[in-house]
Amino acid sequence: MTTLLLDASVLLAAFDPEDNHHESARALLEDEEATLATLDLARYEVANVAVRAWRAPESVAPLLAAIERLAGDGGVLVSTGSLLTQAAELAERHTISVYDAAYAAAADAAGHCLVSCDERDLVSKNLATLPGEDS
Amino acid sequence: MAKVMVSLPDDLLAEVDAEAQRGGTTRSAVMRGFADAALRQRREGRAAAMRSLLSGASPHGGRAAELVKSTRPGP
Repeated sequence: MTTLLLDASVLLAAFDPEDNHHESARALLEDEEATLATLDLARYEVANVAVRAWRAPESVAPLLAAIERLAGDGGVLVSTGSLLTQAAELAERHTISVYDAAYAAAADAAGHCLVSCDERDLVSKNLATLPGEDS
Repeated sequence: MAKVMVSLPDDLLAEVDAEAQRGGTTRSAVMRGFADAALRQRREGRAAAMRSLLSGASPHGGRAAELVKSTRPGP
């Protein structure tokens, strides 16, 4: 069974009923058959969106709690120097940010499949699949 | 199916073998069953916790992927 590595957008979409990918992202987090993981960067990104974009600091705790549940499932991968070196190469090759590339590099290094709601920079470049299209 | 070598303490191996004998099966089958059950339990625990956490979800306007990018530190 392949482990799915979720980026911050999937976690945020699951917690926002108005997101286009809400239902599929939520179903993925609640899927008992899938093994789910993420990257440590997601902790900063979900908290940043909750505080700065949603203006909902009360959402930070449940979002971080969700990431801790992933830590106990497929794990929270660590952004090491070698991972970010690989991410920089991917970023250059695909003209994407090192942040986005870090998720792709982490998934690649661990043999996981990256799942993201980022259609423009990750899904369109075959670096990730949308939630619900991951199997 | 892959074949792997696993190191186990003697007393744990004795328990595995006793379990295999009780169930009329093999050492490999017992260890497969234990691994499968442990991973399944872990996934089910995560899924249940997520259901609880997501029950408090509230609307924020969508566009999660865009918001992640727009709130990252600039150059």
